[in-house]
Amino acid sequence: MLSYNLKLALQNFKRAPSLYFLVLLTLSIGVGLLCANLALVSSMTGDPIPEKSDKLFHVSMNTWPNDQPNAEPFHILRYREAMKITESDIPSNSAVFYASGVYARDAQSDSLKRFDSSVRATTSGFFALTKAPFAYGNGFAKNSGMEVVIGDQLNQKIFSGENSVGKTLELDGELLTITGVLKPWSLRPLFYHATEGRAFNLTDDVYVPLETAIDLGWSIHARSSSTVSYKGVEFTRDRDVFYLQAWVELEDKTKQQAFQNYLDNYSQTLKDAGEHPLDINNQLRDVNAWLLEQNIVDQKVLAFTLASVLFLCVCVFNASSLLLSRFHSAKFEVGLRRAIGASNKNILNQGLTESVLLGFVAGVVSLFLSWLFLKLSVTFLPDLANIAVLDPKLLLLGMLLALITSVSSALYPLYRANRYTISAELK
Amino acid sequence: MNIKALFKSLLLRKFTTGLLILQLAITLGLLVNSSILAFDTKEKISQATGLDNDNILIMSTHPTSGSYRDFDYYRSIATEDMAKLRLLPGVNSVSVTNQLPIRTRGMLSNTHDLDNPEQEQTDKYLKDVKYILTEENLADAMGFTMLEGRFLNKDDQLDFGSEEKHNIVITASLKRALYGDESAIGQETNNGFIVGVINDIILDPTLPADKQYGLFINTVMEYIFAGRFYVLNVEPKQMASVRSQVSETILAVQAERDIFSVFTMQEHLNRFYRDDKGLADLFLLLCGLMLLITAISSYAYSQFHVTRQQKFIGIRRALGARKKDILLYVLTENWLVYSLGCVLGGAIALGFNVMLSQYISLSKPDLVLFFLATGVIFISGTVATWIPATRTSNIAPVIATKTV
Repeated sequence: MLSYNLKLALQNFKRAPSLYFLVLLTLSIGVGLLCANLALVSSMTGDPIPEKSDKLFHVSMNTWPNDQPNAEPFHILRYREAMKITESDIPSNSAVFYASGVYARDAQSDSLKRFDSSVRATTSGFFALTKAPFAYGNGFAKNSGMEVVIGDQLNQKIFSGENSVGKTLELDGELLTITGVLKPWSLRPLFYHATEGRAFNLTDDVYVPLETAIDLGWSIHARSSSTVSYKGVEFTRDRDVFYLQAWVELEDKTKQQAFQNYLDNYSQTLKDAGEHPLDINNQLRDVNAWLLEQNIVDQKVLAFTLASVLFLCVCVFNASSLLLSRFHSAKFEVGLRRAIGASNKNILNQGLTESVLLGFVAGVVSLFLSWLFLKLSVTFLPDLANIAVLDPKLLLLGMLLALITSVSSALYPLYRANRYTISAELK
Repeated sequence: MNIKALFKSLLLRKFTTGLLILQLAITLGLLVNSSILAFDTKEKISQATGLDNDNILIMSTHPTSGSYRDFDYYRSIATEDMAKLRLLPGVNSVSVTNQLPIRTRGMLSNTHDLDNPEQEQTDKYLKDVKYILTEENLADAMGFTMLEGRFLNKDDQLDFGSEEKHNIVITASLKRALYGDESAIGQETNNGFIVGVINDIILDPTLPADKQYGLFINTVMEYIFAGRFYVLNVEPKQMASVRSQVSETILAVQAERDIFSVFTMQEHLNRFYRDDKGLADLFLLLCGLMLLITAISSYAYSQFHVTRQQKFIGIRRALGARKKDILLYVLTENWLVYSLGCVLGGAIALGFNVMLSQYISLSKPDLVLFFLATGVIFISGTVATWIPATRTSNIAPVIATKTV
């Protein structure tokens, strides 16, 4: 029966190719556009580290030293708070870091060409905490020393992807030895640095021990705030300069509470010493809560998604009215088939087979179109470049959407077709 | 023309008519809001910045070599860069600064009159005043106009490391916030003594026009590592030739530099609104697609209708209706549908506007745009139905005799 229905469907397509082509085109443009937008939204709302996103916590503290009403806890910390966090043995891992940038070249190379590289100056716990994937070597063990870990992209650029562990890099005139090279590593969103509009940046090129970067005076490239003036990052250790972000890994609720108490006790000691006039306000937020609070989803994309939902509605309406006219002109045929014994159910089945087949083809075309629309969106909104990816989940969703829209646009026309009376049509 | 009869005829095919009206309404809603977005963006890009947008050339650069960590070396290179740039034919003035106007955040400092620190409690914008490190030539390079006093001069650059208070120049809106209508010259703030006030320029387009707070201080040479932007004022006719030479000029002074980009202030403004422009363009693209699809629907609608009504139209023709009458009849019927669609579209445009405003900022719809969009819908609809309509008018009267 199925093959018979399929055969009939194909015959129908052949009989009115331009009409079916229009239906197909409308549905696939509508689905493709919506799918492209959903791909962007899904990249932006994704969980970058699902296996432990509920165990990783961003630390925000309010330790502003005067009574300026900076009521919110700061996402950036002073060196002294950062060290307090590193010292604690409650978290199974902790990472304290700031973002910087240097120019890098192979110290042994004859070429003077240097590559602009983003730097994460961090404590050594970073790699275990973020589960950074190593291709060669491993992370640095101490928070000081002239050692670096480099990302895949930089390794490709400087060492054409070879194992470069043990080689020396010249970074802003300083020589550092490579201890590890990462595999290609994408985090969408970049949860460990989701502030300052960096949530969809790529992972860093160079990871360097925190103390080393501070000693070398590698400047702070993300938000910093201070109540005093200072000449460079090397003078920040004992000053009120806020620039470090902190993450901790806490295994369970007990540890979480213990760490919260630890922070609050620390703030109380500051308060007792008269260094912290405001209320104690320390917050731990897990990956998803933190990302949600940063409002990283591009509002423009949401606005456009809304428009593309409306557009898809128009497409379905359009397909529906096209199909209605098609079924109407096939009235005679339907009447004839009914007269020679086809039941209403048969006609319905046949119509549904036709629309499922149409939906399937529309799905395939729409996947191609959504890829095209994604490319197009990136041309119009270049900031989206790092998130415009179609993952398998979305391909499936696109297919499903195409089938649903195709069947739903055929529903009313089918209902009408089934009400044609046999005798009237055969007159 | 009997409108009542037309309505009755429309009611005979409630479903298709309803669908088409809905489609038309959604299309109109999108058209209106997309045009709003496009006009808003156009307005933003052409707003007055208080700067000589087309004559200002900017070069953003950063050293790649470790030698620049010796700041004396860095300063000598920067000084020579500027001297060489100044020699290029067509260059009126050259300066260096840590940050450009027309961008959000950047280097900020809280600012208050030294005797009046509470000012920051009543005006929260005073906590985030743009703190612009520069030197004496920036006023000429950017084309600032002085409102009071003078711009920074050579003597305002103190000995490096000096604890003495600096002289500063502030923007007019900052002056009004600190001192109202009184003169600000000679007043002392937490950031230094005011020696001049410039007319407002757009420092951060996301802030209100009267909150463009900024201060200029002659310390860029001391903190030369922050001096990321060279600003050149160029004779309008020589922009292209200067533009093509600036990179070579400074690379000839010292080659170990990364030059990120060379752009005019107008391009900088455009870049700031790049995403708004991108979104507006995407919406316009969607409008195009939507119009196309609605046109297809209008076509299919009247085509479908014509095949169904062949007999009746034949009868009319037999009873004396001329081709012209039939054409007018079909078109009027469609126009009636478009009118209904556009009325409903007005409501959808408003609703869509409210929904979009939750995500992005856009102006309220106005009547002119509504009528324009209505016009577009009528024209594209009429074009799409023209073929079925003429075909209908060609139905021969004899068809009436064929059946029943």
